[in-house]
Amino acid sequence: MGVFTAPWLVAFTRLTWFAASCLYLADTMSDELKRYEATHASMGTKFTVAAYGGDVRLLAATVEQVFEEIDRLHEQMTRYQPGSELSFINREGASFPVRVEPGLLALIEKSLRHSEDMGGAFDITVGPLMEAWGFFRGQGRVPTQEELQSVLKCIGYQRVKLDPSNRTIHFDLSGIELDLGGIAKGYAVDRAVSILSENGITAALVSSGMSSIYALGAPPGEEGWKIILRDPFDSTVPADVVYLKNFAMSTSGNYNQFFKLGGKTYSHIMDPRTGMPVENMLSTAVFLASATDSEALSKLYVLGVDASRQYLATHANIQALFYLPAGPEKQFKRVLIQSASYSLPPDSLVKFTGDLAGSHIA
Amino acid sequence: MDDQGEVTRREFLKTAGAATAVVVLPRFSEGESQPAAVSPNSRLNYGIIGTGTEGCTLLRAFTRVPGAHCVATSDIYPPNQKKGIETAGSNPQLYEDYRQLLDRKDIDAVLIATPLNLHASMLLDTLSAGKHVFIEKTMFFKEEEEAPIRKAVAAHPGQIVQVGLQRRSDALYQYAMEMIRAGALGKVMFVRAQWHRNSDWRRPVPDAKFERLINWRMYREYSGGLMAELASHQIDVANWAIGAEPVSVVGTGGIDYWKDGRETCDNAQTIFEYPGGQKLLWSSILCNARYDFNEQIMGDRGTIEITLGKGLFYTEHVAKVSQGASKENWWAGATVTEAAEQQGLPLFPETVPAHEGFVAREQRYAREWLIRHGYKTIPANDAWFEELTNFVASVRDGKPVACGLDQGIADARAVIYGNRAIDTGKKVFWPKTTG
Repeated sequence: MGVFTAPWLVAFTRLTWFAASCLYLADTMSDELKRYEATHASMGTKFTVAAYGGDVRLLAATVEQVFEEIDRLHEQMTRYQPGSELSFINREGASFPVRVEPGLLALIEKSLRHSEDMGGAFDITVGPLMEAWGFFRGQGRVPTQEELQSVLKCIGYQRVKLDPSNRTIHFDLSGIELDLGGIAKGYAVDRAVSILSENGITAALVSSGMSSIYALGAPPGEEGWKIILRDPFDSTVPADVVYLKNFAMSTSGNYNQFFKLGGKTYSHIMDPRTGMPVENMLSTAVFLASATDSEALSKLYVLGVDASRQYLATHANIQALFYLPAGPEKQFKRVLIQSASYSLPPDSLVKFTGDLAGSHIA
Repeated sequence: MDDQGEVTRREFLKTAGAATAVVVLPRFSEGESQPAAVSPNSRLNYGIIGTGTEGCTLLRAFTRVPGAHCVATSDIYPPNQKKGIETAGSNPQLYEDYRQLLDRKDIDAVLIATPLNLHASMLLDTLSAGKHVFIEKTMFFKEEEEAPIRKAVAAHPGQIVQVGLQRRSDALYQYAMEMIRAGALGKVMFVRAQWHRNSDWRRPVPDAKFERLINWRMYREYSGGLMAELASHQIDVANWAIGAEPVSVVGTGGIDYWKDGRETCDNAQTIFEYPGGQKLLWSSILCNARYDFNEQIMGDRGTIEITLGKGLFYTEHVAKVSQGASKENWWAGATVTEAAEQQGLPLFPETVPAHEGFVAREQRYAREWLIRHGYKTIPANDAWFEELTNFVASVRDGKPVACGLDQGIADARAVIYGNRAIDTGKKVFWPKTTG
């Protein structure tokens, strides 16, 4: 403010500014509930956050912070950018123990635990197999047996060695590469939920391309967030409806991502143990308290119903819904199973409706 | 060239009467003519004036329209005369003088596909002769032709006048407009359109004396050049998408690459402004075809990009703010990947090739997103066939005209003012009292 400015003008200007600020704050911080929904492209998919609150500025700023965090995770965990931390690990991991950022180390550690628990049906070293089947080049192809055998030698979570005390990672075989595509998006959803919660937001839905979802709280007046599970053959037809509150879910499915060669249809979901696409499964939805875990466990799809039953016998608080082929004319049947030890955390909800509401959970 | 031009000009004048005069009066007084009576079950007999490239495209489509029969053709250029008769395939009577065609009492409707400078006079003559009219775009050539056309159409209310802006009958464009009206793009503020080629835009001339007759698009006496022949289609799309006609235009252009004696521009760039501040940025060049042909219609919620036979929809990632609780319905397991989104969601499933990679397959799948948001699936169509089928239905059954007088006039004005902006280097405003 210049020395020649009249005092009355200074006072008037300040008063005007103050009044305008009050009006703006009153508008944005009114008790009236507002809904803020935004999407953001990252990690090869589209993240969506829908959040409720009284202060739209806080909602917008928090969601922006969420997207910044997701971008940070993408830059750290992508295997397609040579400068990412993961790319560095993949390049040097077989040469020497590479020091890893704590968050990434914890995620890799969790991934390896899931891999071990699922007997390799989920495996973060599966990348070369996906490449052999042409998934990264955008064209499906069937690798020769020789190729497959060669590739399978470079797949195996057991080859990944972590040293938590020194925060390092090391591969005991050259050619091993990490691909976090089967868990990172769920991790990003969980990170998003943490940021939302830290900022006092109690009702929000976060999704990564609708394949991994966390339902934080519930929309106003509702008991949970309504999630429609699509018909495995037709994305426009609902198969089931589930209400979620303070809970996560992830899906794995053939959906559109298949290819036909030589009259045979191949799934894009590979069994890392055999190197072959999974057959006789349409889609799987799993329900857990964490999106990181639900995304990894959506690979119960690979295990199938029977092996998943065995898995759930020793792992608590998981529900899995399988859609299985049941005839030649795009028919399917459902199988819903849950952990032998199952109790929802307080203030959480997983409520199926329709046919599944009263069904016996095996 | 001048001598050859004179020869050609005389040829034109022989058949077109006072075609090059600014305003041509109808040959028949208004009371003389009666609209052809075409009952719903009877055959619609039509004649066509001008059987060059575009005329034969129309004729080829029209021969497939049930209930319509070509009984006469007219052209002054022998190869086109032969091509017209062959394309019609119905042994039509050929007339060198189109007025003899108009004299035939058994003709219900007439297609006009001649050089632009002849449109207005032929349209007026055809209306006066009591025939229904299908006239190729651009509807008219000179600003002062608008009023007589309006007057003549008003004087013949029982006669159909349809303008050949065939995108109006193209399922892809209709679908895009349906999406726009339903709010898929939000507020449409910008249209970018171009028609780029890497060719001289000439037609082969077997004898130099036919140069001006065959390549009439190159000469200002007959043609509005790129604006009239190419922009007219795309201006119509912008008018349709924005729901208005422009209020002003600036432009530039020149003969800067094909310095071959042509008089019309070999490149043109214009910016049309609409009443709500919306803009149409249009470009045509004849020295590079990399970006070929397309229209990109942009709103604050999305973009539709249309090229020939292919339409893609791109969403804008914009936050949505609303008051109070909303009905929450979230579909799980319906991933639309960013890769698919970046390449656009196809408006027609069949625009995705069958033998593609995963991204294209996801695009096909992502099409279902549109269906789920209420946009129905419709098959692609042949716009020429559709517009002529519509023309027959308008004549026989009173069906609304696919592209009528107002659209045709709005389009022609934009072409005329666009060329004026290029020629003068000045911003051209639409007259205050139009329509």
